[in-house]
Amino acid sequence: MTDEEIIKQILQGNRDAYRFLVEKHQSMIFRTCMGFLHDKDETEDLTQEVFIQAFQSLQKFKGSSSFSTWLYRIAVNASLNKIRKAKKSSLFQRLGFFHGNDQMKTFDIPIPENEIPENAFLLDEQKQMVQSALNSLPENQRTAIVLSKYDDLSQKEIAFIMNTSEGAVEALIQRAKANLREKLLSLSKKSIK
Amino acid sequence: MNCNLCKHELNAYREGRLPEGIRAQVKAHLESCEDCMAVYNLETIADKVFNHEKVIQPNPFLSTRIMAKIETMEQHANSRESIPFYSRVVKPALISVSVIAAVYTGVVVGNVYQPASQTENIPVELTYFNDAALESVDLLSDN
Repeated sequence: MTDEEIIKQILQGNRDAYRFLVEKHQSMIFRTCMGFLHDKDETEDLTQEVFIQAFQSLQKFKGSSSFSTWLYRIAVNASLNKIRKAKKSSLFQRLGFFHGNDQMKTFDIPIPENEIPENAFLLDEQKQMVQSALNSLPENQRTAIVLSKYDDLSQKEIAFIMNTSEGAVEALIQRAKANLREKLLSLSKKSIK
Repeated sequence: MNCNLCKHELNAYREGRLPEGIRAQVKAHLESCEDCMAVYNLETIADKVFNHEKVIQPNPFLSTRIMAKIETMEQHANSRESIPFYSRVVKPALISVSVIAAVYTGVVVGNVYQPASQTENIPVELTYFNDAALESVDLLSDN
C-alpha cells in the first residue's frame, strides 16, 4: 500500500492506519532530527512532535510532492525552530550559569559497549567538536549537510525538500564543507592549546 | 600537487573514488604536508561522528507513544466538544459575575463604614469612655 493510499484511508476516518506511516518513516525523521539536535531523548520528543504536526495537517497535504518530502520539510522546520528557541533561552541559561545555579548542557550520545574507556572519552571529545562545528553553520548550509550526511539524500532530493535548485544545493554543500573544515581546524587548535 | 587541489580531492580520496594516478599524488602530498594531513584527519573524524549518530535507533515503542499521544489529543478535543453549553459557558460566567459582585459589595460596605476616631462629635454614651475627658491621676495623688 502506498503512502497516498494510507493517507486516503486516514482522511476517511481510519486513524489507526497512521501507525503504518509512522513506522515506515520514523527512522528517517529521527535521523534528520538527530543531525540537528545530537541528543537521543530530545530527538525522540521532536520526532513525536513532527508526526503529530503532520497528522494534524494531513488534510493540507495535496500530494504535489511525496509524503516523505513533505515530512522532511516539517522535520527540518521543527528542528530549526527548536534550535532558535534554544538560542533565545541560552542567554538566560548563561546568566544562570554565572550565578552558579545552572548546569551546562552536555550532549548525551550512547557509547557502544565494546569501546574501551580511553577511546570512548576520545570519541566523546571528537563528537562535541564536530557537533559544535556543525551547529555553527548557517541554517541553510546546515540543513543541506544534515540531509546529505545523515539521510544520504541526493542533491536532487535535497533541492526538492529545500525548495531550491540542484545547483544551489551543490553550492550550499560545498560552502558547508569548507566552513565545517575551517571551524574544525580552529576548534582543534583551541583544544591543543 | 598543491594544498588547494589536495583539499578539493580529499572527500573523493577518503571514499576511494579517485583514479589510481591522482590517488597516489594525494597520498604523497598528505605524507609531506602536515596541514593537509590535519584537515584529512579532522574530516575523517567528522565522518566517523556522523556515521556514529546515524546508526542510533529510536525507541522501538516510539510509534506506540506517538499513536497514544494522538489518541489522547483526540479524546481531549472530543470531551471538550461534548461538554454542554451550560457547563462550558454559563456556569463559568455566573461564577465570574458572583465573584465581581462580592468584591464590589465589599468595597461599597468598606467605604460606608467610618471608625469612631474619625467622627467629629463623640456620642453622649461614649463620653464615659473618652480618656481625654477623665480627670488626671496626678491631681488625685498626695504629692
